Amino acid sequence: MGKLKPQPTVSEETAAEISAIFSSDRPWVVVVWDDPINLMTYVTYVFMTVFGFSKEKATELMLQVHNEGKSIVAKGAREEMERYVQRLHEYGLWATLAREDQI
Amino acid sequence: MTPTEGFLRHGSDTYIANFAETEREVLVNLVQQIIEILAERHDHANEDPLAAMVGITTHDSPPDDEVLLRLLPNAYQDGVDAAEFRRYTESTLRDKKRAHAMSMRMLLLSATDGDVVLDFDNAQAWLGGLNDVRLALGVRLNVDQNSHEDLELLAPDDPMRAVYAVYTWLGWLQETLVEALMDEASS
Repeated sequence: MGKLKPQPTVSEETAAEISAIFSSDRPWVVVVWDDPINLMTYVTYVFMTVFGFSKEKATELMLQVHNEGKSIVAKGAREEMERYVQRLHEYGLWATLAREDQI
Repeated sequence: MTPTEGFLRHGSDTYIANFAETEREVLVNLVQQIIEILAERHDHANEDPLAAMVGITTHDSPPDDEVLLRLLPNAYQDGVDAAEFRRYTESTLRDKKRAHAMSMRMLLLSATDGDVVLDFDNAQAWLGGLNDVRLALGVRLNVDQNSHEDLELLAPDDPMRAVYAVYTWLGWLQETLVEALMDEASS
């Protein structure tokens, strides 16, 4: 009987982080900031529409924006995050992007 | 100013609201102002036609006007990155916002008996367009600094009181449209 070959289990999330280490494109994030004009239901709806989130997930993020002043709503390659920010701006949300480690 | 029920969903893909004549006038006037303020930002002389064709603008600094800055915000907190992004994307964003406002104006002007009838795409344009008007009014009302309680207490002869009334009316109207759309999203 030989030794069992180690078989590390790698979650999808870990795999994404490992590949990001070797990628020149380190993770970027989309930050949505609280503002007193946008309605809470509207922000929830925009999150559902732009990111395809469930109503529960969208509501949770909206509440985080509302209560904590901001929320990270997406993470990934820079170009993809830029497209999200552009769409959020089309809806009038106050969104920016930044490197994950600079938030 | 809210004699109607706002937007209601009819069937799977139709959203209808009825507007009084004065409401339509007010809203047409507001979206017209959005169209005009966006046009002010339009690229001026010396535009490179090739750059214009691929959507690159001559603007890379944020607008000075507070309302325009809220409609066309910076995408990065860092100024250099923000300028670069703006140069390649601002004209697309402006065109989109203009299209939303134009769609609203067209449907308001062509409404029969005050009925504005939206399909899904129009509803998206209205959401964005209504929001742009609310952003513009909100900046002018300085809602960052003034609480709703402050604004409720404006003197009857303060012109901002009428602006605040329109602002809350549009918030209510937008909310009815979001709720009508959410019904569909969850069913």
